[in-house]
Amino acid sequence: MSTSDRKWEALIDNLKLSRRDFVFTTLATGALTLTPRLAGAQAAKPYKIGVLLPSTGTGANYMAHCIKGLPVAIAELNKRGGLLGKHQVQMVYRDDETKPDVGAREAKSLILNDKVDCMFATYSSAVALAVQEIIHEHKVLHFAATSNSSKITQDNYSPYTYQFCPDSNMQSGAVVVAVSRMATKNKWKSYVSLGQDYEWGRDTHKGFTTGLAKINPEVKEARQMWFKLGETDFNSYITAIMAAKPDFMFGAIAGKDAETFMQQASQMGLFKRVPFPGGLIAVNDLKAQRKTLPRGIIGLARCPFFAHLKEPIMQAYIKRDRAAFGADGYPDDWACMYYDALGGLEQGAKKAGSTSTEAIVKALKGASIDTCRGKRTFRDCSNQLNVPSYVGEVWDSPDYPFPIYKPETMIQVEGNEVWTPTCEDVEKLKKKRA
Amino acid sequence: MDIGPYVLQLFSGLSRAMVLFLLSAGLSLIFGVMNILNFAHATLWLLSGYLTFSIFTFLSEQLGASPWLLLPAIVGATALMALIGFALERFLIRRTYERDLPEQLLLTFALVLIIGDLIKLVWGVENRRINLGVQPVEMFDTLINPYHFVIVGSGVAVAAGLWFFLHRTRLGKIVRAAVYNRNMVSALGIPIPLIYGLVFAAGVGLAGLAGGVFLPLLPMALGVDHDVIVQCFAVVVIGGFGSMLGTFVASIIVGVVYAFSILFWPDGALAMIFLIVIVVLIWRPWGLFGTELRF
Amino acid sequence: MQPGWLARHGLTVPVAILMLVLFLLVPLLPGEYWTQVATEILILGLFAMSFNLLYGYMGQISFGHAAFFGVGAYASAMLFTRLKTAGGEIGMLDFFLSLAAGPPVAAVAALIVGFFCVRLTGIYFAMLSLAFGELLFYIVFSWYSFTKGDDGIQGLLPPSFFQDAVNFYYLTLAIVTLALLAMWRITESPFGYIMRTLRDNQRRAAFLGINVRLHMLINFVIAGGFAGLAGALWGPFSRSVNPGLLGWQESGIAVFMTLIGGAGSIVGPMLGSVIYTMLQAVVKMYTVYWPLTIGTIILLIVLFLPGGVLGLVEKRLKARRDGDAGNREA
Repeated sequence: MSTSDRKWEALIDNLKLSRRDFVFTTLATGALTLTPRLAGAQAAKPYKIGVLLPSTGTGANYMAHCIKGLPVAIAELNKRGGLLGKHQVQMVYRDDETKPDVGAREAKSLILNDKVDCMFATYSSAVALAVQEIIHEHKVLHFAATSNSSKITQDNYSPYTYQFCPDSNMQSGAVVVAVSRMATKNKWKSYVSLGQDYEWGRDTHKGFTTGLAKINPEVKEARQMWFKLGETDFNSYITAIMAAKPDFMFGAIAGKDAETFMQQASQMGLFKRVPFPGGLIAVNDLKAQRKTLPRGIIGLARCPFFAHLKEPIMQAYIKRDRAAFGADGYPDDWACMYYDALGGLEQGAKKAGSTSTEAIVKALKGASIDTCRGKRTFRDCSNQLNVPSYVGEVWDSPDYPFPIYKPETMIQVEGNEVWTPTCEDVEKLKKKRA
Repeated sequence: MDIGPYVLQLFSGLSRAMVLFLLSAGLSLIFGVMNILNFAHATLWLLSGYLTFSIFTFLSEQLGASPWLLLPAIVGATALMALIGFALERFLIRRTYERDLPEQLLLTFALVLIIGDLIKLVWGVENRRINLGVQPVEMFDTLINPYHFVIVGSGVAVAAGLWFFLHRTRLGKIVRAAVYNRNMVSALGIPIPLIYGLVFAAGVGLAGLAGGVFLPLLPMALGVDHDVIVQCFAVVVIGGFGSMLGTFVASIIVGVVYAFSILFWPDGALAMIFLIVIVVLIWRPWGLFGTELRF
Repeated sequence: MQPGWLARHGLTVPVAILMLVLFLLVPLLPGEYWTQVATEILILGLFAMSFNLLYGYMGQISFGHAAFFGVGAYASAMLFTRLKTAGGEIGMLDFFLSLAAGPPVAAVAALIVGFFCVRLTGIYFAMLSLAFGELLFYIVFSWYSFTKGDDGIQGLLPPSFFQDAVNFYYLTLAIVTLALLAMWRITESPFGYIMRTLRDNQRRAAFLGINVRLHMLINFVIAGGFAGLAGALWGPFSRSVNPGLLGWQESGIAVFMTLIGGAGSIVGPMLGSVIYTMLQAVVKMYTVYWPLTIGTIILLIVLFLPGGVLGLVEKRLKARRDGDAGNREA
């Protein structure tokens, strides 16, 4: 049933309307439904984006801004006429619950039932891998902008998947660069690692230890400790770290465990004794933990808005989100990257001159697009966007009610400086798809 | 040999133990007296954490920030939770007494889902945390968080209080009698439904207290209850369903074993606990201090 | 109809036949979507029915049953991955071989776990099954080199004939129907009646000379095997497997379905699967508060409708028949 039909029915049901009101409202409704047709060239088919992000589970609090922000961005796009100036964009949202089988099911639902043309998915890399099977089989465009395992663009490569977030290798590489500088300057010799005991944690840890060992072989890992996801009491780990008296510590910790660890560690004074560089501290963490986050700690981010304040796209985006969500409504990393995905879609369609998936896939291959992070190019062999990782010092800024990374010391490590492995090796990693 | 690290690890183990005890005491009490395994115990604990957060934040806004405001916040949350517990027993749990065990379990299982989503409905998906502004304290050549003394103190106080209640007060003795022979106690003219209501309220109140006490240490997030309930079960299984002493001892065992295995075998800390649980269930299902009666 | 037929078999046969007919007709609906939904209903329904062998027929509640579902899924997925050609395709025979791997591996896991669990009953059985379920989950999750851990296993694309949703659906329907018939035979055999005795009065069963533990173990292994079959089907259906399939939340799904449909008959859980899956699909279109919805429904069912939907229908029918009989006598 179209919107106008529904409105018609509602009007008829509401017998309280006087005849005059009834006629007037009907005419107004009719005029409203005609408007898009009049504004655009012809009645062009709307373009549907399936947004598969968690509102339940560990990913929920990271995706909150993104989920409410995308409709605002899409409305603005539609005001400009939509894709190619004629296709209005519609968003269908589904909760993947941060679970791979739910993600696969909802992806099928979006593709087969809602008939979406493109998927923005997901938060968790495990879910992304499961969803990739579905989008590849049904040949649906897939823009990833938070789930960042390198497997998504390498081992599990699909030509339909485009990645807007710095992948796990790029992030590890950036941390290695930053820590290496600090280690050399401070003559560090030993460190202790603490990691979440699952694939991402192990992967990130390996990326860091092998990367650092190459550049600074004199720096050795004294111990590694692993904890189960959802650990609520880091007390014993923290005392063990302090007992080892390392020069610094490395953490492969993300999500709410990162917040728990940081809160408990700073309360125990760990960071006064042992520097902790390079933990993931994204903008939503900076905003949410503004009262508890220890200042001076070195963090890693994926797309902080304050690193690109000079970009006109970023400026407009911030302005719009703050208008919609209040003075504190600065977009976090994830919202920014999915916003770039939307921009990528728009520019891809423009370049292709069509909204067909195959055309957009071809158009975006190795293409350069304008993002809120400036002009960025897709890596040919993996569809990974060449975007930086950001390492900086948590610092109270006079401009914001929450801490940001100190601009003077923030390092931006370009994607192509640290994206491993080489394209040749990426080709070898790609599994064969039937 | 430098014993400093070992003393510290022992202390952290004891703190962890008291965390576990505070969490599990309510569960053990309810099961011991009423034979109800409350799956929703950790979810109620989480609810209390959020409640304490809201009360604390409200008070801070009205009266100015101060860490001491945590005290009335905890008291308020505990009282609220006890009321909620009483209501739950009266309107829901009571209906399952005549039923089979699976149905009782399923009821509390359903509560996990319901209360979990209600928390989301009211507080949203953002994590909640408070900052007491407590400064670390130097001890044994390293720094510790003095709040851990509060934790250990609370745990011991609750343990002592429970012991006193169960063994030295009339009501407590009635409760213990009801464990062994419900009908007899009822025949003596004591209203069993009221006793059950009070015990359930007390158990949930304990969960509430634990939630409030932990708030400064642990950001409250949706889904934390799922992580935590497994630990509660482990402690209650090892110590013995229905035995407060068992719960206390098991908490210490689990806490200290965990703390020390981090020093010597960091990978396997959790696996160790798992194994202990399975061994206990196979060899002595009623736990270290439980009575075979319970079986 | 013979007198007492309803009393003996309840609604099982008519409901089963009705459901079979409806299932056969699903692909007539437009589009591929409903066929996919029905496939999911069938697979999870099989999983729930296997759970009910322990719950409805033997009287024990297991919160770790999904471990066997997941073990079956993983066994099948890992063989699938090894039998795949370099081009990523799998041959028809190899595909069926990989499916066949699920039930036996799951049954072996059930043998090991069951060996310990059947020594206990009631709440201890529930706790130990939960503990083992979580242990198996933890093993699959942590053993990255073998199971690829948290990432799961992808690329489980069936041979091209079965990539068509309708073909895969009918395959699933055939397998599930056969499994259902097998379970029906088992529950209506002397073995099945021993199960019921164990449910109703374990002590008496022991006095009658029945080896309680052995029979519980056999039933546990059978239930595990069927769960493994469901798991084996799940992998190619979803095109991937992940460790979450072994966790207690997945176990909860079987429990809910059984409760909703009714634990009293073999088809109850399948009916529960229909209701649960459809309900979930509809509710999630409008709200993210699905746990609240299903939790409330389970609460209401436990309190007011413990026999599930089928239990309610049977009660009504019996009441009407007894009412008629009463009228006839009067």
